[in-house]
Amino acid sequence: MQKRVVSLWFPRLASDRFLRARTVDAPFALTLRENNTERLYCLNMKAEELGLRRGMGFSDARALFPDLQTCPTDPRADSLFLRALTRWAARYCPWVGQEGVDGLVLNITGSAHLFGGEAALLADMRARLSRAGLTARLGLADTRGGAWALARFGEGVALPGKTLEKIARLPVASLRLTGSVCDTLQRLGIDSIADLHALPRATLTRRFGREPLLRLDQALGDQPEDVSPLPDPPRYSARLSLPDPIGLASDITAGLQRLLEQLCVRLTNAEQGARTLQLTLRRVDQASQQVELRLARPLRDPARILPLFQKGVETVDAGFGIDQLRLEATLVEDQPLRQISHTSSGPDDKLDDLITRLGSRIGLDNIIRFLPSDSHIPERSYITASAAYSAPGGAWPALHHRPLRLFPPEQIAASGRTPPRGFRWRRMALSTARATGPERIAPEWWLEDEAWRTGLRDYWMVETRQGRRLWLFHTPQNPGWYVQGEFA
Amino acid sequence: MTAPQAPRSHDNGYNRGYAELCVTSNFTFLTGASHPEELVTRAAELGLAAIAITDRNSLAGVVRAWAALKELKRESTEDIQIRSSQRIDPSSRQDIGNHAMLARPAQRPLPRLIVGCRLVLRDSPVDWLALPKNRAAYARLSRLLTLGKRRTEKGECHLTLSDLLEGAKGVILIALPPKKAKQAGAEQRDVMIHIRRTATHFPGHVFLGAAPRYDGRDQAYFDHCARLAHRCAAPMVAVGDVIMHHGKRRQLADVLTCMREHIMIEDIGTRALPNAEHRLKGPDDMARLFRHHPAAISRSLEIAARCTFDLGELSYEYPDEITNGEAPQDRLARLTHEGLARRYPGGVSDHVRALVKKELGLVEKLRFAAYFLTVHDIVEHARSLNILCQGRGSAANSILCYALGITDVGPEVITMVFERFMSEHRGEPPDIDVDFEHERREEVIQHIYERYGRHRAGLCATVIHFRTRAAIREVGKVMGLSQDVTASLSGQIWGMSGGGVDETRVRELGLDPADRRLAQTLRLIGELIGFPRHLSQHVGGFVITKGRLDELCPIENAAMEDRTVIEWDKNDIDALGILKVDVLSLGMLTCIRKCFDLIAGHGGEQLSIATIPQEDTPTYDMLCKADAVGVFQVESRAQMNFLPRMKPRKFYDLVIEVAIVRPGPIQGGMVHPYINRRQGREKPEIPSEALRGVLGKTLGVPLFQEQAMQIAVVAAGFTAEEADRLRRSLATFRRMGTIGTFRDRFINGMLERNYTPDFAERCFSQIEGFGEYGFPESHAAAFAMLAYVSAWLKCHHPAAFACALLNAQPMGFYAPAQIVRDAREHQIEVRPICVNNSLWDNTLERRPDGALTLRLGFRQIKGLREDDASWIVAARGNGYPDPEALWLRAGITPAALERLAEADAFSDMGLGRRNALWRIKAIRSQQPLPLFNDPIEGEGIVEPAVTLPAMHLGQEVVEDYVAMRLSLRAHPMELLRPSMPGLIPHGALAVAPLGRAVVCGLVITRQRPGTASGVVFLTLEDETGVSNVIVWPKVCEHYRRAVMGGRLLRVTGYLQREGIVVHLIAQHIEDMSHSLALLGHPNADSIGQTQPQADDAPRRTAKKPAARAYHPRDQAKKLFPSRDFH
Repeated sequence: MQKRVVSLWFPRLASDRFLRARTVDAPFALTLRENNTERLYCLNMKAEELGLRRGMGFSDARALFPDLQTCPTDPRADSLFLRALTRWAARYCPWVGQEGVDGLVLNITGSAHLFGGEAALLADMRARLSRAGLTARLGLADTRGGAWALARFGEGVALPGKTLEKIARLPVASLRLTGSVCDTLQRLGIDSIADLHALPRATLTRRFGREPLLRLDQALGDQPEDVSPLPDPPRYSARLSLPDPIGLASDITAGLQRLLEQLCVRLTNAEQGARTLQLTLRRVDQASQQVELRLARPLRDPARILPLFQKGVETVDAGFGIDQLRLEATLVEDQPLRQISHTSSGPDDKLDDLITRLGSRIGLDNIIRFLPSDSHIPERSYITASAAYSAPGGAWPALHHRPLRLFPPEQIAASGRTPPRGFRWRRMALSTARATGPERIAPEWWLEDEAWRTGLRDYWMVETRQGRRLWLFHTPQNPGWYVQGEFA
Repeated sequence: MTAPQAPRSHDNGYNRGYAELCVTSNFTFLTGASHPEELVTRAAELGLAAIAITDRNSLAGVVRAWAALKELKRESTEDIQIRSSQRIDPSSRQDIGNHAMLARPAQRPLPRLIVGCRLVLRDSPVDWLALPKNRAAYARLSRLLTLGKRRTEKGECHLTLSDLLEGAKGVILIALPPKKAKQAGAEQRDVMIHIRRTATHFPGHVFLGAAPRYDGRDQAYFDHCARLAHRCAAPMVAVGDVIMHHGKRRQLADVLTCMREHIMIEDIGTRALPNAEHRLKGPDDMARLFRHHPAAISRSLEIAARCTFDLGELSYEYPDEITNGEAPQDRLARLTHEGLARRYPGGVSDHVRALVKKELGLVEKLRFAAYFLTVHDIVEHARSLNILCQGRGSAANSILCYALGITDVGPEVITMVFERFMSEHRGEPPDIDVDFEHERREEVIQHIYERYGRHRAGLCATVIHFRTRAAIREVGKVMGLSQDVTASLSGQIWGMSGGGVDETRVRELGLDPADRRLAQTLRLIGELIGFPRHLSQHVGGFVITKGRLDELCPIENAAMEDRTVIEWDKNDIDALGILKVDVLSLGMLTCIRKCFDLIAGHGGEQLSIATIPQEDTPTYDMLCKADAVGVFQVESRAQMNFLPRMKPRKFYDLVIEVAIVRPGPIQGGMVHPYINRRQGREKPEIPSEALRGVLGKTLGVPLFQEQAMQIAVVAAGFTAEEADRLRRSLATFRRMGTIGTFRDRFINGMLERNYTPDFAERCFSQIEGFGEYGFPESHAAAFAMLAYVSAWLKCHHPAAFACALLNAQPMGFYAPAQIVRDAREHQIEVRPICVNNSLWDNTLERRPDGALTLRLGFRQIKGLREDDASWIVAARGNGYPDPEALWLRAGITPAALERLAEADAFSDMGLGRRNALWRIKAIRSQQPLPLFNDPIEGEGIVEPAVTLPAMHLGQEVVEDYVAMRLSLRAHPMELLRPSMPGLIPHGALAVAPLGRAVVCGLVITRQRPGTASGVVFLTLEDETGVSNVIVWPKVCEHYRRAVMGGRLLRVTGYLQREGIVVHLIAQHIEDMSHSLALLGHPNADSIGQTQPQADDAPRRTAKKPAARAYHPRDQAKKLFPSRDFH
């Protein structure tokens, strides 16, 4: 049977995707930042009509058209969108592949009659895509190369066996040649595919290498070229059906252990680790219960995962009994094989297990850790991060004497430029025994920080007769005294 | 921790003042955040007893501070100028741009300046402040730095502790322990050992500097320092470790840190300054900080008192080789008289004799004879090598220089104001620049090194400063502006690059100047402009001494091999009264010399600048017609418009022509009165007989700086020195408004001498008017000389001139395409490049009928190397039969062969562009393989014949532009004209009826001069000539895109004609660039590119290739880009 290939090209994929969510009835462009330069990446029809082009500097465009609406592009979302389109295109045929970042290729051999022939298939495709708000250009030919050329340069259908006739007048660029070869060919006056086809083959290879002939042959079907569909993403799950319902937590645990072992073997083979696990328990009354376990780090060791399920399993209401267990790793991360030694895999694992265990009680997101941050500003000399999604930070710089406990500044009633002799703080009457300082810290001028509105601060270390050692500061630009920390 | 309003009660009675001994200025590049001038002025305000400028391994900044202090000492009302913010226009040598000024402090007495530097050694944890006590110690320090700098590459300095111990006798050394709060034990021991060793080596000269660290624990640190000082026997002295003159510079200091570390401001972290305390502080503040160590404060004063060295002590002596044993003055007198006899074979007039006597007398009095002799020696040597040269600068236009042959402008032509450059009062050295051919200047430089030796001759440095463009780019990078924003911000700057960023321009870009971050960035950019960035070598300022140069100033290696550069720039040298000779290069001299050679080589006479016939009528006729493409200085569009109105008939007219079309006279409103008087529409108005001598030659309109001074002397009774001060403060008149004293003095002086108040006012405002840009007559005369010579050559030897002009590229205002077009308009045949006839240079060929024709050379081909061209010529023999022969015989690589084919250089062999390229494409290897590529054996591959489609004219023209930026075939406009009816060819504009007209052409220049308040001047070119289009701001705004982006424009407007000057006032502009696609060529982006100097438009930083078009139709749209501006 004659092979038939459809090439789909979305010339404005990114902006079409964006505008599907938010209609803009004006010149609009998506911008892409590369090498610290913003360029127009994808434009809508109105912007193109103004003469703006892809690859143009964003500032140039803005100088030309101050009201051009723009938004930074999101290449990840674009590629997900193209993936979705790939899935959608599988309604026409099983062989759907991606072509670059903005095209699809469909091998519709033998499936066109399901839609009433090729013309009807293309019309259906076009109608659906335009309903979805996508600009698409379609090409249909016997070969992938031919369809590509038609989609991008001529939009049309080459009848079976007539590919050469249909594409002969297209420029050589439609053969998917690299830019330099294309340029040279054009400078030699070889503008169209027909011109190239007419040349003696030997002379071509001698001058341009194999590429032009290979591409030509692919387009004309003399060299095979396949369409390979995207693979399905792997699923990591395991199921256990029981002949008799069970109800004991220990039984569930035993079943879970079997499932875990199966699942972990598969994870190990794929060098993946589970980040989120979901255990579905089906009861005899067809109701089901779910236990979710979120891990502080990717794991695939059944012995370590099992105890962490404990708490979840205990809460299960078995009802009349459970007759099926299903375990799925709903979120996995890469976890390459790693050399272990006696020095590693020590306390880290225990801490992670602790975090997981705590997380299963209070929620993983509620567990945070401190990380050092490089700043003179006390409040900004550390940051907090979700414990499950961060590694312990490097060294804490021992820059200055800083209090053990730091809290938001609490104003005290005092005046003068040196620490007050006596003051009240947290309803305690304190008197100063010794004061060291001042250490002047000025706000980080490049940031706008509400807390530093009062200007620069003179910090003093104050030892009180009552025994507390406090960290006070004075704001000379807006006179006032505050306590911000307490030393050990 | 220190506050200016601190109560005095903190003082403990010991406070007798303070001397700051550790100050880092911005000559420690990317570290210090204040100019030396600012530091000195601030020190005076604070009432410091002394201030030392101690830059890291460098003495580059001290002269600035010294000069600023000298200026402060002068009783005056003028403000202090930061020299780094000055910019000198290279052609007129006038200050341009805005000047940062500092108000004079009221405080007296002024601080003393201590010369010094901060020595950072490679093997010591301690930094050393080195403060020489006297001249001898200074010489040693300078030699020590030279030693360290010559050892390594440019900008670095490698010194060790043993070097220090060997070479720092008589220098006071202050040890600065490392800054880190906590030190390892070993390091602490090292610190102690090093200080002890040095202290034993230089008893009584070593101190320990205690600098506050402002971390809240300074008192403990000072106690620690005191203990260390005690144990090392190095007494403790208080230093401030200053990096800025004022706390407000903290932001800039942080930005500099980021630039040094190549990070963004967000990533600066603790590398930022925690506070602004590292600023210059007054005695009270320092006394309070060191309240427990009062001796450390008073010790700073003691050290300051011991350092008595002043930069003024650097005495300068001339090399004595040049005298040949004669006394310099005698030799100068003898040479002068010999020269006069040569110049005036008919005898010397009394006037000249008197001038010579006066000048010789002045030179003798100021003892500058050796200087003139040095310049004479260099010029003589250049002449002996047949290198063209011409003196320039005020001193050059003296009768002495005329007699010595340094200049060819005689005293008859211009007024000699010898006093201006050699005033006795100023004590500044005279100033002679000598221009040499730009391709042969290196020979002259090497001669100087040979003759005087490297230890005695060195090039001045040039301090490269942050100008607007660089400042925007660097600060933008630090502050996180994206590259396209910084590119367009700097794209907004037209010409003037001393000012900051204009807010309205920012708004034009669609940015919000009120945005906090952007406002901060713009302010920082403004602050950074004028900061020194690095030292580079001066173009040709030579310092030659009698003794060792490295005892005068540290010498470092230049980036160029075999060059050594002293650390100071030419202004520093001037300020210290050290003489230098400027050995500059000028492209036009190369062109003129090449032209002379071509004429002589083709049977003409051997010409020289001096033997060109003067006052030649055909030459002036040609200039009156504005036929001046390629003529030095008068070829620009504005000059060409002016020439027909000016109608120069004699040499002095050219001097005026060169000087008058400048921003100064234009803004000062001097052009119209002059032209009216010149054309006889107005009577020259000269208010008094006394002023006739001054203003007579310029018809009563003051045009030159010299005239301003002379008016002040003659009409207002200024002394020569006052007039000179007037001249120097002209630059700051308008901005600062500090002209009160001068103004009153001037006007009163004129009133006393019976001038009308009205005239006096007008005179003064005129002087004010060109204050910023006034052009010295002597420069104008030197340039006019070259303008005349080049015009004469163009008039009488047009082929040779065009050829020489092309060979001297890049230079001048026009691109080769315009030069070739101009040559062809003058009936010169231009022959294409041909592998069998061309050389690297363009050449002249004699036709059978005797006319000379111009043969284009390989240098016109883009991307071809001179090396390849010389191989082609060398292996040519009886000519090449086919392209393969070039590959086999001359060893030309396939890539270069392709270049040649693209330039259609094989047409001689009957191979068109495509066929040649087709054949060359078959050559795959770089080198011929001996066995398989011997054509004689006939075993080469036999290929089927291929017929490639012929190119049509449009494609050929585009290919021509791609390969050579010019085409001999046709102008693109010629091919497009049939498709655009109703156009008036440019050549017909001169006779077209006035009124509405439509023209179309390629844009060759776009200008928006600062003097024209937003008017844009376009120059369009078609196959018949050029047209001048004036676009008023309103029209420009309306057709902004076309004006900005169009490469081929169709302009509809009203014709205006004055004499032969024709303008089209644009009303409607249409971008026709798309029709260039009709020429049908895929990948050209070459037509319509103008020379950088021809466009005022900002340069596009890094022309980026636009993304590939999706369709050939789109691709063709990218043809013919021109240069854009916003």
